[in-house]
Amino acid sequence: MKKSITRRDFIRETAAAVLGAAAVGLPKASPAQTSKSRVILIRHPDALDENSEFNETVIQQMLDEAVMKLVDQSDSAAAFRLLFKPEDIVGVKSNVWSYLPTPAAVEKAIKRRLLDAGVKEENISIDDHTVRTNPIFIKSTALLNVRPLRTHYLAGMSGCIKNYIMFGESQPDFHPDSCASLGSAFLLPQVKGKTRLNILCALTPQYHGRGPHHFSRRYVWNYKGLLVSRDPVAVDTIALKLIMVKRRQELGPGQELPPVPKHIQIADAKYDLGTSDVNKIELIKLGWLDDVLI
Amino acid sequence: MDTLFQAIPQKILDWEASGKDQVYDRKTIFNYMDGGAEVYLAFDFREVFVRKYKDPSGDEIVLDVYDMGSSDEAYGVFSCDRQDPKAGIGQESTFGPGLLRFWQGRYFVSITSAGEEKETEKAILELGMAVASLLGPPGELPPLLRLLPPDGLIKSKISYFHSSISLNNRYFVAGENILGLDRGKTDCVFAEYEEGREETAKLLIIRYPDDEQAQAALQSFLKSYLPDAEPAGTAREENNKWALGRRHQNFIAVVFEAASKERAESLFAAVRFPAK
Repeated sequence: MKKSITRRDFIRETAAAVLGAAAVGLPKASPAQTSKSRVILIRHPDALDENSEFNETVIQQMLDEAVMKLVDQSDSAAAFRLLFKPEDIVGVKSNVWSYLPTPAAVEKAIKRRLLDAGVKEENISIDDHTVRTNPIFIKSTALLNVRPLRTHYLAGMSGCIKNYIMFGESQPDFHPDSCASLGSAFLLPQVKGKTRLNILCALTPQYHGRGPHHFSRRYVWNYKGLLVSRDPVAVDTIALKLIMVKRRQELGPGQELPPVPKHIQIADAKYDLGTSDVNKIELIKLGWLDDVLI
Repeated sequence: MDTLFQAIPQKILDWEASGKDQVYDRKTIFNYMDGGAEVYLAFDFREVFVRKYKDPSGDEIVLDVYDMGSSDEAYGVFSCDRQDPKAGIGQESTFGPGLLRFWQGRYFVSITSAGEEKETEKAILELGMAVASLLGPPGELPPLLRLLPPDGLIKSKISYFHSSISLNNRYFVAGENILGLDRGKTDCVFAEYEEGREETAKLLIIRYPDDEQAQAALQSFLKSYLPDAEPAGTAREENNKWALGRRHQNFIAVVFEAASKERAESLFAAVRFPAK
């Protein structure tokens, strides 16, 4: 029988342990993985300037270093070529949420390296709301998943898993039960097996939400980081740790939890998209470590 | 609502109405909100009027006027998210950087801005006062609130709602709907009580349609949340606080984070359940 995660579980354990424990009773879709999922956290103090404007040059360096480390290459173009072939048709699933969109600097940095890897410009498209009808996405052979990190009042957290909700025919259909089935979007025919890289922008993450659109600038902080992984579940698991530490620091222990992001654990246990077990994640921290929190 | 909408000022200080006014109902609200729609759909939300204002520099203020169908529901949606100081607008209000929230009669209003400059805050408050004056007479509070024991009650931390979405956003209890909460079936009030040293005990009272549904929900709750409960429904939580779950007729009362078992018992005993 599936165990319901309760407040008492969270009092007893850390979030990651709870998410792992809660998977008890949910059979994995395939045999357990033996190697660890690598997640790169890279931060740079100059990723944003004094006016909170994104620094394109620094962000390009951050992306390059992160992807090189992810695939153990010493050249950024070579690193991208390991992930994307010149003949690939690449859909970059971004996020245009008006309050906290994927920064243009990140999208430009991605496109630059896709071109360096030999992907033709006409075979690259960056999109969000119209991915289902976008011709490049329809015939894509590879996907790159990129979006900002924030809390979400229903799903608990909006990360790389939730970013694929736009591939679904109806977004509200994913909302029941705290958006538990978000991982199923990765199994849609337009998506399945195509995701080569997940980038969660923690440049200005949002750790709490208020008001009708769950956004208030006071709950956004300049963390100046990027989380990069081939495993969307692992990158979201690490991001949840970051959000919880920040919430505890700013809002107090009683509000450490956003609404429980059960979709992360379910993406692991039910849809087998990656791992939500921190013991199976290799977190590599690069660059600036002040107030890194995790 | 048309007359009301037309009466809302087109200009507040340097901010002028910008773009076309919009109205969203229960079906179309998803076009306006990314996921946030369920906050309102968890209540008897009817429609929301949206108007945007811009100043000469392009800074935007967004006015949302929600018709919640009744004062119970308007109070409910207001009460589930109040973290800022009072602003003295409408029947109850909160105001913090970039966000004014208040309710009046059957209406709940939020006014938001990405900017936090003094002039923007002034415009938000002026717009709020102008809208509040158009919303008609005050409404009654939900009768369920009368069940709350008054001693030690923190009035600014009372929340009224119907569903597990609202409960978990107010106070996460469980990933599953272990209390069987459902709009149209259950009414809930969640309150906090002073316990000293900035700690609070929490009291959740739920009204079910009948005794049988209340009993079934209690069994579900005890099994999932308090499997170690004593026969009287009390258990020590992992933070050394005490929890209690117990039924009275078609009501369930749950106490969380009481300082002692006796405190949990006394809080339950003080609930002013109606005589049947």
